[in-house]
Parts: sequence; C-alpha cells; structure tokens
Amino acid sequence: MVSTTHAAVGVSRPRDKGGRPPRPSRRAVLAVAAVGLSTALTGTLSACSAASGDTSGITLRFSWWGNDDRAARTEKAIRLFEKEHPGVTVRTSNGDFTSYLQKLATQAAGGGVPDVVQLDYRQISQYAGGKAIMPLDGVIEDRTIRTSDMDKDFLRTGTYQGRQFALPMGRGITGYAYDSAVYRQAGIPTPQPSWTWQDWAKANKKIAALGMKSPDGRHFTGANDGGGNEDVFETWLRGRGKNLYADQTKLGFTEDDLTAFWSFLNTLREEGAIAQARDTVQAKSTETSPIGRRLGAADFTWDAPFPGYTALLGENIHFAPVPTTGGHQGTYFKPSMLLGIGSRSKHPKEAAQLIDFLLNDPRAGDILGFSRSTPPNRKIAARVAKTLEGAEREIYDYAQTMEKYGLDIPPTAPPPGDLAIQTAFKRIHQRMIYGMATPREAAREFIDEANRELRS
Amino acid sequence: MSTVSTTRAPARTVRTTDPRPRRSKRRPVRERQWPAYVFLSPWMIGAVVLTLVPMAVSLYLSFTDYNLFDPPHWVGLRNYREMLTEDPRYWRSVGTTMLYVVVAVPLKLGLALGVAMLLKSLSRGRGFYRSAFYAPSLLGASMSIALVWKALFNDGGTVAGVLDAVGIHTGGWVGNPHLAVYGVVLLTVWQFGAPMVIFLAGLQQISPDLYEAAALDGAGRRRQFMSITVPMLSPVVFFNLVLEVINSFQVFTPAFAISGGDGGPADSTMFYTLYLYERGFTASHMGYAAAMAWLLLIAVGAITLILFRTSRSWVFYADEEGR
Repeated sequence: MVSTTHAAVGVSRPRDKGGRPPRPSRRAVLAVAAVGLSTALTGTLSACSAASGDTSGITLRFSWWGNDDRAARTEKAIRLFEKEHPGVTVRTSNGDFTSYLQKLATQAAGGGVPDVVQLDYRQISQYAGGKAIMPLDGVIEDRTIRTSDMDKDFLRTGTYQGRQFALPMGRGITGYAYDSAVYRQAGIPTPQPSWTWQDWAKANKKIAALGMKSPDGRHFTGANDGGGNEDVFETWLRGRGKNLYADQTKLGFTEDDLTAFWSFLNTLREEGAIAQARDTVQAKSTETSPIGRRLGAADFTWDAPFPGYTALLGENIHFAPVPTTGGHQGTYFKPSMLLGIGSRSKHPKEAAQLIDFLLNDPRAGDILGFSRSTPPNRKIAARVAKTLEGAEREIYDYAQTMEKYGLDIPPTAPPPGDLAIQTAFKRIHQRMIYGMATPREAAREFIDEANRELRS
Repeated sequence: MSTVSTTRAPARTVRTTDPRPRRSKRRPVRERQWPAYVFLSPWMIGAVVLTLVPMAVSLYLSFTDYNLFDPPHWVGLRNYREMLTEDPRYWRSVGTTMLYVVVAVPLKLGLALGVAMLLKSLSRGRGFYRSAFYAPSLLGASMSIALVWKALFNDGGTVAGVLDAVGIHTGGWVGNPHLAVYGVVLLTVWQFGAPMVIFLAGLQQISPDLYEAAALDGAGRRRQFMSITVPMLSPVVFFNLVLEVINSFQVFTPAFAISGGDGGPADSTMFYTLYLYERGFTASHMGYAAAMAWLLLIAVGAITLILFRTSRSWVFYADEEGR
C-alpha cells in the first residue's frame, strides 16, 4: 500500500510547480481508495500451478512432501529406477506438508496432478471423488503393482467407494512418548498395552505431586493436554467402540461423547496434573511441546517422529501405547502417506511401475528405510528392521507388540472435510481451556461446525 | 466498479489542479484518442486479465459450491446466507477485524501526527529522523519482521520477560487469546512512518503567515493547533484515514505469520482475510471464500462512502474556498 500512496501523491506533483501545495484532493483520495479496494479481491484467486515441460522419451512427474532425509533417500531410489528403465525420466518436486497440500490442490483444480503423487490419508476421498486420481484396480489385477505382501485391512485405507485409488507407502501408529526416569521416581509402573485412561490420570497426578520444577521454574506436569488432538480423541473413541466418522457425511459420535472426553481432561488440567493452556497452545513441534520444554513428563505422538524425542531429550524417553478403555485399544495402523496416479497421466503404466518399485523392490526398500514409517510390504519391513537400533528399533518392536495385542480394523479414509474439522477440533479446544466455553458448549460448537463441514 | 474509477483516476487527479472550476462540464471528446490507448494498453490488458476477469469469476464462484475439485454448482445465495446466519466464526472474524481497525488506525495516525509535528519543529537532522521513522513501514509488511515480532511477544520472549520483571505475568502475548490481537496492533502502529511522511509534507505546506498572524492576535500553541493546523491539515488527515482504514480491513501477513497461519490461539487473531484464506485454501470452500471477498469489498466500500459523506463537515479544502 505504501506504493499506492506514493503513486497518488506523485500524480499531482508534476503539475504543482506553480506553487500550489500538493495537498491530496478529494478525488485523489477517492482514486486511491478505489485502488485499495480492488486489491481486496484480486488477492484471492491468484495462485497458479507450475506446468511441466516435455522431453523425448517418457517423463514422469512425482511429487511428495517431507524433510531432507526423506528427500535424499527418495531421490536415490528414483535414480535406481531410472537406470533400470531407460527412456523414463522422473521429475520430482517436494515441499513441506502445508504448502504441498495447497500447491497440489491448485494443481488438481487445473487438471495438473502429477503422474505419481504422494497423498495424505485425508485427501483420498477428495481426490478420488473429484476424479483427480485414477482407480488402480486394473494395474493391481495385472500385477504391475503387487500387493500380495501387504495387509488386506491396511490396503483398505486407500479405497474410495470400494475401489483402490491409492496405496499406502508406510504405516504409522499413535503412541505415547514418556520419560521413564520420572515415571520411576513417581513409582508408576511401565505402561502396558492394556493400561487405562484412569491409570493415566493417576500417573499424571502422582507426577504433579512430586512438585518438580521446569528449568524456568514452572510447575512440572504429567503430560501434554491431548484434548486438542483429534488423533487422541479418535483413539479414545475407538477404545469405546465408536469412530470419528460413521460414513462420509456423518460423525460417528455424539455431543455427550466429546463432552465426556473434554471434561475428563479439563478436570485434570484444572488440578494441575497435565499441561496448562498457555503451554498447550504453543505446542506445535517436539521442541515446543511440554515434554520438549521440560515442563511435562510425556507427549501424545506418532511412531515416525519418536526418534526425534530421544535425540532431543535423551535415552530415558520411551515409547508406550496410548491408554485404553478397559483394555480395549483404540489405536490402529494408519497410512502415514499414500501413493496415487494422477487421472490425466499420459503414462499410467510407467507410473504404476514406479509405484511398484518404490513399494516392493527390496533395494528401494533398503534405500528408503523407515523414512515413511514402517513399510507396508511385510518382507521389506522385516528385512529393513534387522538393521534398526535405538529409538527406531523401539518403534518397530512397538508395532509388533501392538499387532500381537490385537487392534480393531482401521476405518476407511476420512471425508474430505476432515482437514478442516481437525483444525476446528484444536481451535475449539483452545476456546475451552481459556475458559471461553464450557466442555459442553465447546462440544456443541464443534458438532455444529463439523456437521456444516460434512454437509457442504 | 472500482476498476472503472481507477482507470480514470489519474486524469481526474490532474484536472483538480486545473485553474478552472472543478464542476465545469467535461471538454468535448478530442480527436485522436487512440495513441493514448496504445500507450495505456499494457496496463489495460493487465487490468482486464488480472483484475476484471478474476473479479468476474470470483463473483460467479461466490454463488457456487466450488471446492477446487468438482465443477462448480450454482447454489444461489447459500454461501451468503450461511455466512450471515449460520457461521459464528464469520461474525467473530468481523468482530476481531473491527476491534483491530478501531484500535490500530487511531493509534497509528495519532502517533504519526505527533511525530510529524515534532519533526517539523526540528531544525537539524530532520532528514535522518524522517528516514529512521519511515524505515519500519518498508520492513513491517515482511514475513521476517512478523517472525521477529512473534519471538519478541512469545512466552519466554523479551516483552513477556520485561513485563514479568515489573510484576505483570502474561505468559507471552502470542499464546494468550486475550492479548494476541494487540501484538498485531502494535506491529501495525510501529509502521506509522508512511502516514507520518505524508503528515510532515502537509504540515510543511501550511503557510507560516497563518501562525504568525495568529501569534500576533495572541493565540497560544493549543489554539494555533486547533484553529490552524487541524483545519489546514484535514485533507491530509482524511487521506491517511481512508487509506489506513482500507488497509486495516485487509490485514493479513502479520496475523498469518504470528499465529502460524491458523489465526490462533482460539481464533483470537482470525482476521477477516485470514478466515477467507482458511476457507478457500485449507478447507477448499472457494465459493464461500469468494462470497466473503465480495462482502468485504461491499463493506469496505460502504465504510469508505460513509467517511466521504462525513468528510464534508470536517475536511477543509483550501482550493474550494470560493465556491
């Protein structure tokens, strides 16, 4: 806007040599106002997508999100694929998750989804329903993509209306990172797969009663407040035999369920047993979470980021299951990300070959490792697991333990609105912990908003 | 509507300095206008392709359920109805934005005028100070300054530390839904340099004769300010006011950066434009977002119109004296 201001003043200045002061006139102000107003609209729809060029031979476009380690490993695997498929060039592009989602959405709107595309679980129904990615049943039947070494229930996570649209690249599972030294000190037994929410509440109270202080002199609590985390709520719900979504347009729980969940945590927070509001709102990463700031003893998290906790906080941090309701585990193996083929791909066969290579080739498996959580191909996972140690070994063993313990089948892909619903969950929880709404008011507000999201 | 008036704006602005009375009829259309259009064409093509067409598309989309994936379906006024009657967050974002405008604009303009008057009375180093105070206006809109701001006002940041030391425990402004918006307000007020420069120019153009005459008649500084500075400066005040109000309604970057893009905590920095962005690009409700953009345009247009209407009673244009 600074430039607009100058433009307006500049326009009148050259004529002012005669001495009349360049005071903005009414019309000049009106003109600038008009320019200012028009920017209100043009900002909205100006994102555009990058197109790819054509070269001789076949060029596949492959896009994904992830950190540098994952990027380096993925590039290496792709070079190997190119070597074995002369004439096929793979052009890659990656970015961080949020900007990746926005870029991909814009590409999809322009019909430019890449040939091979990494998708989040929540995008499946939207991209499949919007015909941005193609069904893979054909290439699976003719064994261009082999799925025999993958778990049937797990494959279901890439389906939409009964057809396979995407294949999981890694399976992740929720868990609970905790400081075993603090647990010992408070006399809390090592959490077992069957430990309950009541055990968890008691453990937090015991830790709070130790009267420990954080490095900056704050009260040390038992855990972060999982109330803003949709994943934690989902685990809690599934432990009670319910689901987040009944189907693509309906929630699978009631206002009472959510009120019970939020009231339970609200009481613990008010008693000082779990993280306080100001610490919950700034917890956006391992480093800013209560455990990362040494304000608390534990954190609800996923298996893939767990090695980051031990790297930051030391070997005392271990990985435990999320609490249950009467021994009924609510967690499940969730695709950490999936691969699909853009519906307008000119080379669906080669795209399928690339997917098969990334998922089923043992050499690709060695290169990619656990950079996308546990590989879905059982043989590859077992092969890679032999080389694991430390925190990575622990999450691998954890997955084995949970599989043996027995988990309910995973739900199908959540509806497209879940991306917005997930942020609503966090936001409305924040309103509650800051006393702007009671648990019941917050639950009602959430249900209203979620229903509106699912309807549209 | 806005584009049409912008197209003519430069011409009109020039005309106001024409010695003839403003209300005279327009001159008859001259021959050979086409060279002007040839020279204007790069701009006009841009205006049509980048402004007019997107605006028309946006207007159309605001009546649809466009979600980036499926072809848009006509839904009539549903987006507008839902926004106005069913969406509590919409009204909260309106409230947050209004609060921001009502607090930030007067503070910023007051500070700009105050500093401009101090600078005017300065006999040496005016150029230096003017540049120094103007600098934040150049930097302030950037992402990096917003991030610095976030670090300053965060839990454990400088501001929280200083306030703690004097016994005010905030726990950081960024994470506190009652204070977060004021962090954004302060960032805006800090960029008072742009209106200040304009005020300073305005002040320097008030004839010293007026003050001299007033002093001879025994007017004190306060009286001089109220009876000479304020009326003579009123067009500049008006100009700055309109600009700042329009800009403030469209505040986006600082709130986006400070809240990490989610308008948090608990929607306390969810300004109108941020909510619009979230609806469009995170929740994929492009139709709804387009409808929001149009209501913003209409609302800001209406407020600007009201400002213009009221300005007749308080803005004094020296060049309209004889009328």
